[in-house]
Amino acid sequence: MSTVSIGTLQHHSLRENPQYSPKSKAFKPCSLNCSPQTKFFFHSRRFCNFRAPKHSHVVVKAASAAETAVVQTFESAELFFKETFPLKRTETSVKRERNEVHKKLKIVEGKIFVRLDQVKNSQIWQLTVGCNLPGKWILHWGVSYVGDVGSEWDQPPTEMRPPGSIPIKDYAIETPMKKSSSSGGDGFYEAKIDLSPNSAIAAINFVLKDDETGAWYQHRGRDFKVPLVDYVQDDAPDSNIAGAKRGFSIWSGAFGPLSSLILRGEASTTTGPDNSTNSRDPKQESRSLERFYDEQPIAKQVSVDNSVTVSVRKCPETAKNHLHVETDLPGDVVIHWGVCLDGAKKWEIPAAPYPPETIAFKDKALRTRLQPKDGGDGCWGSFTVEEGLEGFLFVLKLNENTWLNCMGNDFYIPLSSSSLSARSTQSLSGGTQIPEKDSKENQEGSISKYTSGIIKEIRNLVGDISSEKSQKTKSKEAQESILQEIEKLAAEAYSIFRSSIPTFTEEAVVEAEKQISPVKICSGTGTGFEILCQGFNWESHKSGRWYMEIKEKAAELSSIGFTVIWLPPPTESISPEGYMPRDLYNLNSRYGNIDQLKEVVKKFHEVGIKVLGDAVLNHRCAHYKNQNGVWNIYGGRLNWDDRAVVADDPHFQGRGNKSSGDNFHAAPNIDHSQEFVRKDLKEWLCWLREEIGYDGWRLDFVRGFWGGYVKDYIDATEPSFAVGEYWDSLSYTYGEMDHNQDAHRQRIIDWINATNGTAGAFDVTTKGILHAALERCEYWRLSDSKGKPPGVVGWWPSRAVTFIENHDTGSTQGHWRFPGGKEMQGYAYILTHPGTPTVFHDHIFSHYRPEIEALISIRNRNKIHCRSTIKITKAERDVYAAIIDEKVAVKIGPGHYEPPSGQQKWSSAYEGKDYKVWESS
Amino acid sequence: MEVSVIGSSQVKTELAYRELGFCNLKGGKAVISSKNRVCVGRSTGWRKSGIRFTLRATAAIQSEQLRSDSVSGRSTRSKSRDNVRLFVGLPLDTISDCNAVNHARAIAAGLKALKLLGVEGVELPVWWGIVEKEAMGKYEWSGYLALAEMVQNAGLKLHVSLCFHASKQHKLSLPEWVSRIGESEPSIFFTDRAGRQYKECLSLAVDDLPVLDGKTPVQVYREFCESFKSSFSSFMGSTITGISMGLGPDGELRYPSHQRLVKSNKITGPGEFQCYDKNMLSILKHHAEATGNPLWGLGGPHDASTYNESPNSNNFFRDHGGSWESPYADFFLSWYSNQLISHGERLLSLASSTFSETAITVYGKVPLMHSWYKTRSHPSELTAGYYNTTTRDGYEAVTEMFASNSCKLMLPGMDLSDEHQPHESLSSPELLLAQIRTACRKHGVEVSGQNSSATGAPGGFEQIKKNLVGDNVVDLFSYQRMGAYFFSPEHFPSFTKFVRSLNQSELHSDDLPEEKEEAADSLRVSSDSVVCMQEA
Repeated sequence: MSTVSIGTLQHHSLRENPQYSPKSKAFKPCSLNCSPQTKFFFHSRRFCNFRAPKHSHVVVKAASAAETAVVQTFESAELFFKETFPLKRTETSVKRERNEVHKKLKIVEGKIFVRLDQVKNSQIWQLTVGCNLPGKWILHWGVSYVGDVGSEWDQPPTEMRPPGSIPIKDYAIETPMKKSSSSGGDGFYEAKIDLSPNSAIAAINFVLKDDETGAWYQHRGRDFKVPLVDYVQDDAPDSNIAGAKRGFSIWSGAFGPLSSLILRGEASTTTGPDNSTNSRDPKQESRSLERFYDEQPIAKQVSVDNSVTVSVRKCPETAKNHLHVETDLPGDVVIHWGVCLDGAKKWEIPAAPYPPETIAFKDKALRTRLQPKDGGDGCWGSFTVEEGLEGFLFVLKLNENTWLNCMGNDFYIPLSSSSLSARSTQSLSGGTQIPEKDSKENQEGSISKYTSGIIKEIRNLVGDISSEKSQKTKSKEAQESILQEIEKLAAEAYSIFRSSIPTFTEEAVVEAEKQISPVKICSGTGTGFEILCQGFNWESHKSGRWYMEIKEKAAELSSIGFTVIWLPPPTESISPEGYMPRDLYNLNSRYGNIDQLKEVVKKFHEVGIKVLGDAVLNHRCAHYKNQNGVWNIYGGRLNWDDRAVVADDPHFQGRGNKSSGDNFHAAPNIDHSQEFVRKDLKEWLCWLREEIGYDGWRLDFVRGFWGGYVKDYIDATEPSFAVGEYWDSLSYTYGEMDHNQDAHRQRIIDWINATNGTAGAFDVTTKGILHAALERCEYWRLSDSKGKPPGVVGWWPSRAVTFIENHDTGSTQGHWRFPGGKEMQGYAYILTHPGTPTVFHDHIFSHYRPEIEALISIRNRNKIHCRSTIKITKAERDVYAAIIDEKVAVKIGPGHYEPPSGQQKWSSAYEGKDYKVWESS
Repeated sequence: MEVSVIGSSQVKTELAYRELGFCNLKGGKAVISSKNRVCVGRSTGWRKSGIRFTLRATAAIQSEQLRSDSVSGRSTRSKSRDNVRLFVGLPLDTISDCNAVNHARAIAAGLKALKLLGVEGVELPVWWGIVEKEAMGKYEWSGYLALAEMVQNAGLKLHVSLCFHASKQHKLSLPEWVSRIGESEPSIFFTDRAGRQYKECLSLAVDDLPVLDGKTPVQVYREFCESFKSSFSSFMGSTITGISMGLGPDGELRYPSHQRLVKSNKITGPGEFQCYDKNMLSILKHHAEATGNPLWGLGGPHDASTYNESPNSNNFFRDHGGSWESPYADFFLSWYSNQLISHGERLLSLASSTFSETAITVYGKVPLMHSWYKTRSHPSELTAGYYNTTTRDGYEAVTEMFASNSCKLMLPGMDLSDEHQPHESLSSPELLLAQIRTACRKHGVEVSGQNSSATGAPGGFEQIKKNLVGDNVVDLFSYQRMGAYFFSPEHFPSFTKFVRSLNQSELHSDDLPEEKEEAADSLRVSSDSVVCMQEA
């Protein structure tokens, strides 16, 4: 499974060491994880953009293996490290929606042609659509009949369909384009459609699809259209001859530069065997079946693989390190580099001498232009640095806006032997590109620019759509997307209005009155006083009787103060952990069978704990293969076919609509835009509520589909609590996490907003910022520019479900583990702060338990809830402090803090390593 | 040559279609689709052979083009007939004390959202206490000008409410210099029987008295309006389409019969008469003497209930046998309400004459004093200055005054429904609304609407809709009011739904011109490709 695509990755750990130690084998599969392009993330999908500590592990091994191999010397210096990194880049930046991931691709030029001609010695005419670019081209086409109004497609009659065609719903055909035999060396892909002259077909509509990349090629966002104009020639002398009654002609009106591609300067070349005078003679034209040939330029983006190789040699005489950096990137490449003195990877400028063409950059780094290689693409640079340095850091700069780094981090080359054996958390492999970020960018400006950009896009969209009014579904989508944008703007306005100090005294009174009255329970917040327990970890499936094991702990969990428990996904699953569900109605899993599940839910209800079911709605594994051998046909009670699968993941050949979110590539993603899918899922969720007794949902991978659908599900199932996992990467600049993570939390807020606030979301932002703050002793990060908490909890506390670890980030997976030993500081933060805190199973049942219990009891004693007020009283390098609801003060960090001694008297409530909590008395 | 011929002929046909599309609007969709075919047939007819198939192509495009035209036509039509011009109130504190735009970013985002939603414009409260804060005649418009520009840039209309009142609740005060005068001369404020002053607006009794450093309040208001007009001249008629003239407490034409704020969940008492400031009393005295009953001019009714007493607890408002039906009461109530109407007349004529040469409509706001409407005496209306009882229509005179000044009448409370009123208050917002609207219809005064509840009355949107559709013609509806609650997930989605249900046609009809551009664009492309064919 996961090893298949190793070859394509071009990732090699080149060590000039003939012995291939068994250890080094471990290197390969791990390094594969680094490329976001690969598709084999099975359960590990979530960490695409996060640092994966596993790599560090690998680095250590590889490096130490290298260390043992230092026997060999090269040119009087010993090479003790060499590494090649793949680089992905393109010539143009393709901005993916809201994702800010820029991919570098190369443009391959070619052409699409459309030809209409007569098959020799027959009445049959043939339309040929071809393309001379390599790819898995598919002609996606349909016809319009005479008298059709609107631009809907119809399926062509069966006799028109070339062999191998697959019907798509009821309106189109997909015909794979075959490599043309006729066109000689230059490989043409073409599809031929036979046209019967006396059919009632008015036009043929098509778009091209490259199944390899999933890209669609349209004309200006619309379909290509080849009208076959039919008009009866009453005055024709030979009108009684059936075959000549109709004429074909080609309208190339819809042609033009292909807008989904890069616009090319050249005019399209159109050639017709009949000269132009011909078209002026109506009689001749209408009688003769006109041959036609039209070509359109096309460009396809292909990702280019480049690499950079770094080798390190130690000079035996001077004990200096010589680094040799070589890359096959074309053009001018500037290396932005520095060294670090310790494990903190803080950029420092090394001592001179520097290579030629080096300039210093802001006292932090050096910039050196790499020397072009003799004869051939690429360039190189050689650097000499003193001994005693911990490592060499660099990023590559192609131009002002294009930087290449290593999976969101700097490339890091360990230099000292100690650093090689030290546990480094840096990933060494994989290269992706990030856009350069100006950290001092005027925030306000960029936001307004952003929103006006959106408006512009919407206007375009509206314009585009309304000219295709008859495509009702499309305009409905457009309306939905406009509504989404409106919601986004509203959310922005809301967050600002809300964050400003209330000037309305009356409102404050009303608020206070509200709180006295019984708290309104809504699915986004529960009672507001919820404390969640994640009741499993990544290994929980192993015993086969987890339900029974956790059931034993129910009373204990209740006494600690938890009000909600999140149980693992209950369905039959391809993976034992449950996140690859197949038959949704089969609730016999590795955690136990359906009866045990009911039993454990009942038990938790008895002790007063609500139970969340882990609902995996984004994807579902198939039972059967389709005719192409692709797994996308379902069995079980929900025996969907490929219409339930999104269309834009080529691996599963779904026939649904395009995904409304990000794709999870290990399994077919469900197309929630389909009415029947939503109906079935709602039914299933309601069944789970009734049959099992779940009180609410933890929704897996909600990045995969639009939050509006979540609202639909929640409205249908009326859970008492719901939380979604919207996990994407925080923003980093030069490998350092940005202080301002507003964009990140905004994405989560946007999702919550799309659900209409019916679900909360895990506050990934807060976790990330806690990582940086605790790991690097940068506690100032815990206050945003407005003096509010910097995570989701600062903007929409009632919907923020705070956590520090879960089965993916921690447990035995450890995709993004909380800084070791500092977990209690994290809990001191989330358990005293607003938002709804979640405690991870592994932490409860560890030596942290007494501390967690103490913090929970402080929270409950002081009635801190998800909307509690918070005032940050200190946010400095080594200490952060805040006062919550004017009742509880907390400080975390090694620095000193005492709550203000004013009218309020504070008494210490609990104290642990680097944190302390006070209560007002 | 050949090329240009074809190009221009296409343009012509296109224009012809557009004309067709517009003159045929009545038929709606069905007609349009059939017309489609007609057009195709025609174009072939016109173009006799020659470049026949080229034209075919054009026709194909235009049939699409037509459809978008037809949609725009439809929405225009429906707009004039049953679409309400919807405005959303901006926060009361949009412009801060020191003339800065508060939460500019939020407002910018909010304006964009509203524009996308298809809202016509926003309502902006302009506070006397902010603009003319420091000294008489010293106007500071910069904050409001900045905001007007934001609104203009967002492509929205602006309805300005000139607020000559203050709002303690929202920490908005009268101009400092006015407050200073009020400290030494408290009689410029409305006063109740117990001598308590209502300091959020000037008493109507001083309208024509030179109490403000030698000028009368009416003069000061007029100069304020003149200054506003000249400062915003570039926005007048284009961005600014309407002005609500502040007429009293909360901008409404009434006495502050409830001096202090009433908690929303409590039942409102009938309020008290506010005729006890020095000047009111002296007017009353003169009036009483002139009508030959000098003893009636010594004060208001002695047996009226106090603020939050039940109307039946005292003699005056009692349903049966209450003294409100006595000749004295008729004398007093007529005088009391006429004072209010004269005040309204003074300010509205001031406003309509000031803005007469601009393309701006002047509005005045009439309160919806709906509590106790189901009693015979309507005490809440009486204390507020509306002599409206089961036996007398008090709104005729008011609407007549509006009609004579060609002003439109703004009515709040369109979100209030009878069923959600506390039963004991004997309130009926719906009946009162209907009564005022009848009076307006009678005198040809156009009605505009507002909602009253800041935090969303139960069933408010349904009620508003009820008040906007059918026979209830409303000139515009001003929804109150943008802010945190407005954009909150509890509220905004239902507002969105409400707006969409009002304008059932398109989400954003103002984008239609751009649509046309886009369509024209595609036409251009098509002619280009035709060119290619001809060359070939």
